[in-house]
Amino acid sequence: MAVVGHWRSAARTHAGKVRERNEDAFLECPEQGLWVVADGMGGHQGGDIASQMIVASLAELPLHGNFDDRLIGIRRCLHWLNRRLGQELTVNAGRQDSIIGSTVVALLMEENRAACVWAGDSRCYLWRGQRLYQLSRDHSLQQQLIDERQMNARQARAHPGGHALTRAVGAAEQLTLEVLELEVFAGDAFLLCSDGLYQGLSSDALGHALSLALPAMALKRLFDDALRGAARDNLTAVVIRG
Amino acid sequence: MTDPLQTDPDGQALVAPPDDDPPSDFTYYAFAQSKNREPARLSAPSAFSTMPDVLAGRYCIERLLGAGGMGAVYRARDLLAQQYGDPDPYVALKVLNEDFAESPDASAVLYSEFCLTRYLRHDNVLRVHGFHVDTACERAFITMELMRGLTLDQLLCERPLGLPWQELRQIVLPLLDALAYAHGCGVIHGDVKPSNVMLSENGVRLFDFGLGRAEEGVLPGLPHLSRERFNAWTPGYAAPELLEYGQLSASADIYAVACVIYELASGKHPFRHLPSTQARDEHLHVGLQAPARLPKRCWPALRTALAFDTGDRAITAGQMRDAFTGSSSWPWYRKIRPSW
Ligand SMILES: Nc1ncnc2c1ncn2[C@@H]1O[C@H](COP(=O)(O)OP(=O)(O)OP(=O)(O)O)[C@@H](O)[C@H]1O
Ligand SMILES: [Mg+2]
Repeated sequence: MAVVGHWRSAARTHAGKVRERNEDAFLECPEQGLWVVADGMGGHQGGDIASQMIVASLAELPLHGNFDDRLIGIRRCLHWLNRRLGQELTVNAGRQDSIIGSTVVALLMEENRAACVWAGDSRCYLWRGQRLYQLSRDHSLQQQLIDERQMNARQARAHPGGHALTRAVGAAEQLTLEVLELEVFAGDAFLLCSDGLYQGLSSDALGHALSLALPAMALKRLFDDALRGAARDNLTAVVIRG
Repeated sequence: MTDPLQTDPDGQALVAPPDDDPPSDFTYYAFAQSKNREPARLSAPSAFSTMPDVLAGRYCIERLLGAGGMGAVYRARDLLAQQYGDPDPYVALKVLNEDFAESPDASAVLYSEFCLTRYLRHDNVLRVHGFHVDTACERAFITMELMRGLTLDQLLCERPLGLPWQELRQIVLPLLDALAYAHGCGVIHGDVKPSNVMLSENGVRLFDFGLGRAEEGVLPGLPHLSRERFNAWTPGYAAPELLEYGQLSASADIYAVACVIYELASGKHPFRHLPSTQARDEHLHVGLQAPARLPKRCWPALRTALAFDTGDRAITAGQMRDAFTGSSSWPWYRKIRPSW
C-alpha cells in the first residue's frame, strides 16, 4: 500500500439560486490534514455566525500532538462551540426564539489514518475501488424514521419536516458527536458536503465526479451538476484526494 | 488489512460509529502557542461581505475571534504599527453585525461600550485603543488589546469538574476586584458571564461592556442605552429583576458573577443554566449545595449573591472579594439573613 503523503484538495461554497445569504462555511488545510464543512442555521445572521465560528475555531487548533490528541482537540473545540452558541450568546428581546446552530462534518487525516467527526446532516463520502460509501449517517428526522420505523428513503423524504436535524452544534445542552475512524488507502477520494449539494445529486453523479483524477475537476463537476438543478439551498463541497 | 466498512445493498456503507462521550477532564494547555502554520483556506463570511479586508486604511482583518448577539470580533493587524516596526502589531477589532449596524442607535451603542471600557483603568479590565469609523463601508468599530488565552466558557469545557481552590482564587479574586472597581466608578457591566471574561496571558480580563451602563452623574452626556428600545441579556446569567423589569443595577452583576463563580468552583451552573425567574419559581435555591472544593468561609457570601430577590442579595463585589480572600468580617454578624 502506498503511503499517503500529501493531500490535494479543492473546496467551494455557493449561495445557490434562491437564498440571498450563504450560511455554509468550509475550512481547507491540506498541510494540516484537516477539512471541514459547516451548514449554519438560525435567523438574523445566527446561522452565519455559527458556521463561521466553527471553521475559524477549528482552523486555530494546535498542530502539535499526535493524531489522537488532535482528534480530541477537534471534539473538545466542538463541545465548547456547542456551549458558546447554545448558552453564552446575548439574546435581544423579541429575538429569543431562534436557535443558533450549525451542522459540522470534519475530516482529519494523518498518514494512513483518517477520522470523520460529525453532527447533523452534512456528509462525508468515500470513493474507493469504484464504489461510493457514505461514511457519515445523518442526524436528521428522516434518518431516524428510516432507522426506527423502517421507512424506506423515499417514504422518509416525503415525511413533513423530515429534513429537521436531530443533532447540531448549538442546538441542545449536550452535544453528541459521532466519530468514525478508518484506514486510508491509495486512490481514496473523500467528499465533505452540505445537504444543499447532495440533495440535488444522485449517488451516481457523486461517484462520477469523485472518480475524476483531480479534486478541482471533481469539484467543478459537482457544482456544474448541482447548479443545473434548482439549487434552492446553499451548497458547499470539499474534495480530498491522496 | 480489513476494510473498516461493510456495505449494504445500496452500495452505501453501513457504519455504526461509536457515540462520542463529551471529553472529560483534559490537560490544560492554556497558553500553548501554535507553531508557524501554513495558511488555511476558509470560506469568506458572507454576512460581513460588505466589510472590506482592510478597515479605515489601517486594520487588516485576519480571523474571526468571536461573534455574539450583536457584533463580531476579529483579530486584525495594524498596518501602521507594523510599518513602524512594532513587534506586536495585532489588535482585536469589534464591529456590529450588519443587520444591527443599520439601526440608528447602533454606533451610539458601540461608542458607549468603548467609552465605558476606556473610563475603567484597571489591570483586570480589557484595554480599549480607539473608536473608528470606516467611511467607505460606513461602519463603526472599536480597536482593543488582543487577548490571548481562554475565555471562562472555554476553560469550563476543558475542566468540567471545576477548579480546585488554588486555581479558582486566581481567577475569582481579580474578577471580583475588577467588578468592585467598576461599581466603585459607577459603571455596571450588565452582561457578566463566562464568555465575557478571559484568562489571558496577562491575567484575568473582564470585557464586553456592550450592555453596560453608567450611573447617574457618571460620564454625563453619554447617550444612555434605553432598555426599552434595546433590551438584551444572557438567559442563564441575568438576574430576575433584569428579566422581569429590565432593571439593571450593580446587584444584577452580583447575581451573574455569583453564577460564574459557582460554575467555576463546581463545574455546574447553580441553576442548570435556567433563566433565574424559572429557577426561582421552581424553588431551585432550596437544594443548592455549596461546591465541595470551595472553602467554607466563601459559601455564605456566594449564596447571598445568588439570591433571586434583590433585597436578599445584600452583598457587594468588594464584600464578596473580602469574603473570598478571608479578610472579611462579613457575614458573621449580619443582622438580616436571606429569607431562604
Ligand atoms: N480583545 C479580544 N481579544 C481576543 N478575543 C476577544 C476579544 N474580544 C472578544 N473576543 C472574543 O470574541 C467573543 C465575543 O466578544 P464580545 O463578547 O465582545 O462580543 P459580543 O458580540 O458582545 O457577544 P455577546 O453580546 O453575545 O456577549 C469573546 O467571547 C471572545 O471569545
Ligand atoms: Mg460577549
